[in-house]
Amino acid sequence: SVRAHLDKPSVIRLTLSYIRLQTLLKVHEKRNSLSGLDPLDENSMYLKILEGFLMVLSTLGDMIFLSDNVSKYMGLSQTELMGHNIFEYTHPCDHEEIRHNLRLTAGWCVLNQKRDFVVRIKSALTHRGRVGNLKSTTWKVLHCQGRVKLCAASSSVSCVLLTCRPLPLSHTLLSTHTFTSQHSMDMRFTYCDQRVTSLLGYRPEELLGRSIYDLCHTLDTSCLNKNHLNLCLKSQSVSGRYRMLVRSGGYVWVESHSAVIPGVQPSRSRPRPNPSQPLCILCVTYILSQKQQLPDVKIFKAFILKLLFSILKFQTNPMCNIALDEKVIYGQKKQLPDVKIFKAFILKLLLFSILKFQSNPMCNSALDENVK
Amino acid sequence: MHHTTTAGVSTCSAALRSLHRERRFQSAGMSTGGSDSTVDKPADRAAEEEEGPIQAESTMPSVELPRKRKGEVEERSDTRVQQSLNFNLEDDLSRSEGEDQQVKMKCFREPHRQIEKRRRDKMNNLIDELSAMIPACQPRARKLDKLTVLRKAVQHLKALKAGASGAFADAKHKPSILPHDDLRHLLLRAADGFLLVVRCDRAKILFISESVSKILNFSKLELTGQSLFDFIHPKDIHKVKEQFSSSEMLPQQRLVDASTGLQVQAEAPVRPSHLATGARRSFFCRMKHSRVTGKHEGKHSLPAASKKKETYRYCTLHCTGYMRTWPSGQLDPEGDAADKETPSLNCLVTVCRLHPNVSHQPPKDVNVKATEFVTRCAIDGKFTFVDQQATTVIGYLPQEVLGTSCYEYFHQDDLQHMAGKHRQVLRSKEKIETQCYKFRTKHGSYVTLQSQWFSFTNPWTKEVEFIVSSNRVISGPGHTKDESEAGSSKSTQDEAQQLPDIPGLSTGVGTMIYAGSIGTQIANELSDTYRANSSPSSGASSPFGSVQEKCLLTSRSTPSREEEAGSSSTSQSQADSSKEAAESSGAPESRGDLSQLDLDVPGLSSFSSDEAAMAVIMSLLETDVNMSQSGDFEDLHWPF
Repeated sequence: SVRAHLDKPSVIRLTLSYIRLQTLLKVHEKRNSLSGLDPLDENSMYLKILEGFLMVLSTLGDMIFLSDNVSKYMGLSQTELMGHNIFEYTHPCDHEEIRHNLRLTAGWCVLNQKRDFVVRIKSALTHRGRVGNLKSTTWKVLHCQGRVKLCAASSSVSCVLLTCRPLPLSHTLLSTHTFTSQHSMDMRFTYCDQRVTSLLGYRPEELLGRSIYDLCHTLDTSCLNKNHLNLCLKSQSVSGRYRMLVRSGGYVWVESHSAVIPGVQPSRSRPRPNPSQPLCILCVTYILSQKQQLPDVKIFKAFILKLLFSILKFQTNPMCNIALDEKVIYGQKKQLPDVKIFKAFILKLLLFSILKFQSNPMCNSALDENVK
Repeated sequence: MHHTTTAGVSTCSAALRSLHRERRFQSAGMSTGGSDSTVDKPADRAAEEEEGPIQAESTMPSVELPRKRKGEVEERSDTRVQQSLNFNLEDDLSRSEGEDQQVKMKCFREPHRQIEKRRRDKMNNLIDELSAMIPACQPRARKLDKLTVLRKAVQHLKALKAGASGAFADAKHKPSILPHDDLRHLLLRAADGFLLVVRCDRAKILFISESVSKILNFSKLELTGQSLFDFIHPKDIHKVKEQFSSSEMLPQQRLVDASTGLQVQAEAPVRPSHLATGARRSFFCRMKHSRVTGKHEGKHSLPAASKKKETYRYCTLHCTGYMRTWPSGQLDPEGDAADKETPSLNCLVTVCRLHPNVSHQPPKDVNVKATEFVTRCAIDGKFTFVDQQATTVIGYLPQEVLGTSCYEYFHQDDLQHMAGKHRQVLRSKEKIETQCYKFRTKHGSYVTLQSQWFSFTNPWTKEVEFIVSSNRVISGPGHTKDESEAGSSKSTQDEAQQLPDIPGLSTGVGTMIYAGSIGTQIANELSDTYRANSSPSSGASSPFGSVQEKCLLTSRSTPSREEEAGSSSTSQSQADSSKEAAESSGAPESRGDLSQLDLDVPGLSSFSSDEAAMAVIMSLLETDVNMSQSGDFEDLHWPF
């Protein structure tokens, strides 16, 4: 059996935490273990898969509970941390944000109970992952997601349950539904990989120099702003869902995971981050949905088809009346040479409009760079 | 801080020691120590001497401590509390304490006092907190002494332990502070997710945790053994299939080391066996969730409700996990005979979490006439984003207004007011409300709008990037002249001095062109405050001559793109001026050269009449056809 090496305040800290936790859990009925897997396995698997640890915070910021794998991420063990206050371990500039997320919201709306934020926390791990001295701590960026667990009996028992994942994940498997991009610090594109063409329709060259804010739906400005701020301050960010405009019109829902890195040139050897190089932002963007289209589009397409048939009867001088009036004079035998060209043009135009139709507020329409 | 190392000295005795010491301190200030260092247990001395310089209480020991078992604490504290009256122990304590003091005194005197005080205070605080948490201690009027508090705490813990039935019965597992069930319960509450194990070859769900019922409203039983693809959104099936595949079948798969931004090539000879634990997967997918909560009991479910077709909605899940190989027999006993041949099964083990944001909203009912829409302009007032719903209000399609200055649509009477607000919003961090103003629609009439403007500053450059405007319709175009006049006359009264001096500002055709330059001028003012050098002037001095012949078009309801191009190509402070330049140069294109035309046709969003559709086509035709021969477009009528 293991003898603990704990000092007296630690014991009391842990006791306190334990009592609080029990009070909290008593509020909700316990479920019997029905799963096929041994609960221990399931828990450890869950935490391992999640690549993070569980943290239960009181409204004052006391870390009531931490899952034992916290040592893997912070270098400090569960017993060392439990009962302490999170404000002792996080970056001072993030305290306000933490406080904001710890407050209990009034009302029982489910949405209000969710929490999602990024903080910087002290980590006693060295770069190589070994446990170092607490005195030589580095800042680690954590992405915390979770919810508030309210206790109707006493608000002091209410707390926030969070899963904390360190950013960045070291390897991201890229699928065909993601693309990477690099940006300068003001979020203008400096590089974009080829997959953006198949996903959003833009060619990478078209995007260079443009700001990501131009590319996205206006209503998501605040989401992107928060993302950008996180990047500037904390160097890592997870954006949450926002809409990105598709070139041909409409938009798709996406999520971006971004990090600030020193500008790198892709090279064979492992680069050393050069502090003199300008910083840039690396984004991996996941496409979540397919293109959203308005139902009216179908109506329009049907209309265009109808129009197509009318065009075939077009006879008159295009200069006079382009409205494909049914009262068009059929008597004009001789067709102007341009009429043929014009008809062909109209047909092509309308055909294309059927095939890829949507209004795209970001792109200029017909008078694109292609048109020269 | 004492590192208690041996069985003899327990942590609780250490607590008692400090209490003891405190009592001594209270009476005699800094104790000069008791007897000499005849310590019974050499281990004690070792423990104390190794302390060396005192560490403050708040400093964490740098050695990683093994996890503590709650059960042990209780036992030890239990016995120790009983033994506290044991005189021998107290002697021992005082002796070791004395030595303690001596050692400490040698090194630090002054700081030590403060450190000690801090330690004491912290200890007191903790004990106070403890007494607050324990029900037994609370009703007391007077403050309990520490020993009693501790004693009560022990009792309480014992009671809790008894309550948590069988939590610690399992000796073979590593002890943990929280029973496993509770931990899982907490985890799943926090994470809003479920565990999913899927066979890679057939996408059969091998295991799914209980919590899925909360998230997807399907019970665990319904899902286990089913094919995963039955529950995934059809458009995402391809995406998920990709995640199952082994690396060698996916040549375009790349790994990115997110910390350095480099692409790491997967090792060349990748065999299926390399898909052992570790190959991570992370993706988003949409899964069905049933609206019908509760049990699906088959035939004898509720009569009326079940008649309705079960509608499925999809929620977005973030799935992270890794590939794992397991011997097939163990996991999937129901597998076919074919399974037996495969020695091992590739599985994807993931945790699927509900994406934090709200699940997909159904598209807004487009039949409802939108009375609000959002637009975004560059700092000079040129539209860079127009909500698709705007068309129902203003008649123009988004394409038609993009790149044009908003001033071209404002009624002349409102120009001053809007210019003032424009200036204001560029300098303010708050939302600015405009008064009611008139906005010219496509058909020539005016709608009354009221907007809320907000300027967005790039957090990095600290410069204003764009202005977001949420616009509300106050009244439609049919409203009386009096109202609109009243509104506009109000606005002209204030900020009379702020209208920049634009030559030739007059009614009629010229207004349109010159109005556009107002925005440009305001934007330039802002740029000047950012940069020391003055930006080239624009607006008034622009060669409007080339645009004159196109003026006829401006009075009509169809603003051709060229006039915007003409007026804006001169201004140089726009990010999108290159676009306009392309436009104006593209205008006089020969008709015959149709192949060059990029048929990325302007889209039509929700519009109220077919006329709008034809208007777009018209505008496209205008660019292609030589305009000088255009004649009079006023005769155009659209029978559709």
